[in-house]
Amino acid sequence: MTQRYSLAYLLLAVSGLIVVVPVFWIVLAGFRTPISLLSGTWQFDPVLDNFLEVLFSSTSDLLLNYRNSIIVGLASTCICLAAGTLAAWSLDRLNWPGWVTHVFLGWALVFQMIPPVALASAWFGMERAVHLDNTLIGLILAHATLNLPMAVWLMGVFVRDVPNELVEAAKIDGASGRELFFSIVLPIIAPGLAATTVLCFVFSWNEFAVALNLTAKETATVPVAIAKFAQDYQIQYTQMAATATLSILPALVLLLIGQRYIVNGLTTGALK
Amino acid sequence: MTQAGISTASIAPLARPARPREDEKLWRWLSFSPALLLMLAMGALPLVNLLATSFFDVTWTSGSANWQPVGLAHYRELPADPLVAAGITNTVLFALGAVFGQLVLGLILALLVTRIPRGKVFFRALFILPILIPGIVVGAIWKLMLNYDFGLVNQLIGFAGLTAQDWLGDSGTALLSVIAVDIWHWTPFCFLLFLAGIEALPNDIYEASRMDGASPWQDFRYITLPLMIPTIAVTAAFRLVLAFKVFDEVYLLTGGGPGTATEVISFTLYQRFFTEDKVGYGAAMAIAVIFVISLLLIIGLQGRRLGRTA
Amino acid sequence: MPFTLNRRQALIGLGAATLASQARIGFAQTPAAPISIVINQSPWLASFSATVDLYQKETGNKVNLEVVPFDGMLEKQRNSVRASQGDYDILILNSGWFVEMYYGGFVTPITEIDPGFTLDPGIFTLGDTIYFDAEKKNMTPEGKLMTLPIQPNIPMLYYRGDLYQEKGLKVPETFEELFNNAKALQNPPQMYGIVQRGARGANTVSYDFYPYLFGMGGAVFKDQTAGDYSVVLNDDKGKAALDYYLNLAKEAGHPKTASQDQAQIVQALVTGHCAHASLVIAAYSTMDDPKQSAVVDKIEYAPTPHAPGLQPGPALGHWLGGVAHNVPDDRKRAAVAFLSWFQTRDAQIANLKAGGIPLNATVYEDPLADERQNRWMKPLAAALPHAINPYAFPEATEVVAVLELGLNRAIAGEITAVDALNSMSDDIYKIMEKYKYKTAELPKLTA
Repeated sequence: MTQRYSLAYLLLAVSGLIVVVPVFWIVLAGFRTPISLLSGTWQFDPVLDNFLEVLFSSTSDLLLNYRNSIIVGLASTCICLAAGTLAAWSLDRLNWPGWVTHVFLGWALVFQMIPPVALASAWFGMERAVHLDNTLIGLILAHATLNLPMAVWLMGVFVRDVPNELVEAAKIDGASGRELFFSIVLPIIAPGLAATTVLCFVFSWNEFAVALNLTAKETATVPVAIAKFAQDYQIQYTQMAATATLSILPALVLLLIGQRYIVNGLTTGALK
Repeated sequence: MTQAGISTASIAPLARPARPREDEKLWRWLSFSPALLLMLAMGALPLVNLLATSFFDVTWTSGSANWQPVGLAHYRELPADPLVAAGITNTVLFALGAVFGQLVLGLILALLVTRIPRGKVFFRALFILPILIPGIVVGAIWKLMLNYDFGLVNQLIGFAGLTAQDWLGDSGTALLSVIAVDIWHWTPFCFLLFLAGIEALPNDIYEASRMDGASPWQDFRYITLPLMIPTIAVTAAFRLVLAFKVFDEVYLLTGGGPGTATEVISFTLYQRFFTEDKVGYGAAMAIAVIFVISLLLIIGLQGRRLGRTA
Repeated sequence: MPFTLNRRQALIGLGAATLASQARIGFAQTPAAPISIVINQSPWLASFSATVDLYQKETGNKVNLEVVPFDGMLEKQRNSVRASQGDYDILILNSGWFVEMYYGGFVTPITEIDPGFTLDPGIFTLGDTIYFDAEKKNMTPEGKLMTLPIQPNIPMLYYRGDLYQEKGLKVPETFEELFNNAKALQNPPQMYGIVQRGARGANTVSYDFYPYLFGMGGAVFKDQTAGDYSVVLNDDKGKAALDYYLNLAKEAGHPKTASQDQAQIVQALVTGHCAHASLVIAAYSTMDDPKQSAVVDKIEYAPTPHAPGLQPGPALGHWLGGVAHNVPDDRKRAAVAFLSWFQTRDAQIANLKAGGIPLNATVYEDPLADERQNRWMKPLAAALPHAINPYAFPEATEVVAVLELGLNRAIAGEITAVDALNSMSDDIYKIMEKYKYKTAELPKLTA
């Protein structure tokens, strides 16, 4: 039986290696001195300097940046997913005229094509006018909007999998639109929802161009902190690697827990 | 494979009258309005602003802005810009190459992970890793790894007895290297979505095909692939759009060089719109790029429609 | 109550008064408004930060440092000065970017905020980039005083003093001497005689090329200060410079010079793989740090070479600090108070001790400059007066983009030096024409 899968495992192992070796290299780089990394040697004496520097030096606010990234990530993802999933269901099944669906989806897609540098400066002007710049709320709204097109389109694919017979039967039994959505549709699209949540969160977590423009010292996120290490005539690789390592950890944990929670939470909440 | 175990029989009949139409109308609007409001509030102005700016020249004197209308002048200048021609070509090559690679690899990995009996969770977590890393770190670290003198890649191929290459500095390999790094970075995107898509496929079809004695390849070709087309299409569309916006990685890896071998349009845009502060011209470029991407997507869509009817 | 003053108090009072009169602002009086300075994360942030802390301690004035990634410096400062109310009181930018601030009217001249302000005589004026005449649109001492230098940054020649001792080589002054020394030490792949920049970037290969161009008497424009932007890049001196640059790379340099950027030059130097490099002086602190360098105490410094009879021509890449126009007056005054303290000899000695690069020439004559770890100071002081500001107009970024592309292609061997010079000159001429500058172009170079 395992013979059948040995090719699969082999391919997965090779892919896994290609994926993991650079990541591992980045994590290890965080424990090296700059000269040891630049000289390209394999052996080195690990040091904690980089982590101490990025966490505790006077010019670093990494813990604050973390807090900001987590808040912005969670909040923008929730808003984005909620709005996006509802809209996807609405546009697909709730009898909107065809032009509404096409215009909205098209507009959303075109919006995704705007280069970040143009978008960031436009939003800065907007938010400055209403005093939302340098606030977490301002960035949350921006991120939610940035990822909304993707959420709507992706959930649009997954809501199409909800069988019509189920929907009709529920309606015959007198379920309201709201009950239908929350009790029947959500459990079916749970895996797709989980995947889209992961992507929206990760995109928010790693977003740089807009975050740079809309934040200052108190509201800066982790990518802004990481960018500080790409300097005018050198890149501080080891500090950047240390920060990136610290950045991957919470994201990874949140995602693993989040994925399982979403899928389980939604499917166990379904009508049995 | 999950199929939410719901059948019509499990819904308890509710002893309620039929829902009034107003309630349904309310729900219809309630479900659509959050997204609509968000897009109206945040997504309308930037687009309009971009379009408007493309017809002006903006300069600053004495601390305030001067808007000079120039009509279609910026659009006419675009084809003459030496960086634009190179940028568009490279970006299309880059986008198509990278996206194709990611789709294929993502699909293969998703299929493999759903097939294997054990280790699903492990591999799922493993293959997500690259997108967790910010673009700037991906660019910086791969630049180090592809370094001619000290890089990991050259060291490894040195062990294998091959000669070291100047991956990022040689115009023959530069674009390919950038594409490879992008594939490494973004395959998890496709992997995640395809995994969700495959898991949403109904089980019974496969059981039926198993009864008919179909091979895994036939399963894939005639059942999985056709059912996955919507997922693949949307994933491809978004990856394409995002590939056109790629910036950090290319900036750190090659800066657009050698020569213009890896000059991507987002680069040219950044240079003109931001560094040179030509916001009018840059806006025109952005609008033009949006047209090009839309065109590509429409062509792809028509192609798919043709494929369907064939 | 009778007020008695003992000798010690009298001396302190005298000292404070002297210091106050030197800086022309009464420190002992009411504290100035808190100010905000924007600065990027860089190796010299630590020294600047320490100096600012000293200021706060000495005067009781509050200064907030907004640390921004280098990538975002221009963006955030543009946003700030273009808004109705600025976020930053003191803007700090690379001199190339600061030109935009001058031309746009985003900086209030220091002498307008404090008419009694006098520039400390020891301050390096760095190509007179601290002045600007808004009518004539040039930078000469006849213009108003707009900014102070925050970080004097020019390329210097870094070389391996230990290898020189081994081989009995002399510090190079002319280009020929540099070539011979580099060739003598060339031993690829363990040791490259020199590593030059060749990669295309925002300001990469062109910045490395300027000292060669200027040091041979060449230039991009005929006379910027007089407003004559005739393109002279493709004259005989430009050709000599580019030919030399290419030949140096071929005979004594890195085989893949076309992909080398500043980070890679630093990498080659600190890992002990190259014997010479033209590198900004701000990188000196990396060289003697055992965590960042394998060649501690082995690097020596010299001004970039020059053609016989001419002067070195390092290009300026320094950082300037000026007061934003869209902040309240009391903060503007507080900002000038900081700048006038910052320019004094004592403040700059503190800057040096914290690991920074002093902007006051008097510090370079202090005994501190003779210490081993400060061996870069005397060569820098010798080179600074000859530093040349490459561009004095805001559209310079387009010109730089042309140079980057052309030089990169020439180094990669895609086009010949003559073709590169001709096409670059032509493109630059077209750019200057487009913006209505007084310009002309030379007849095409022939091989």
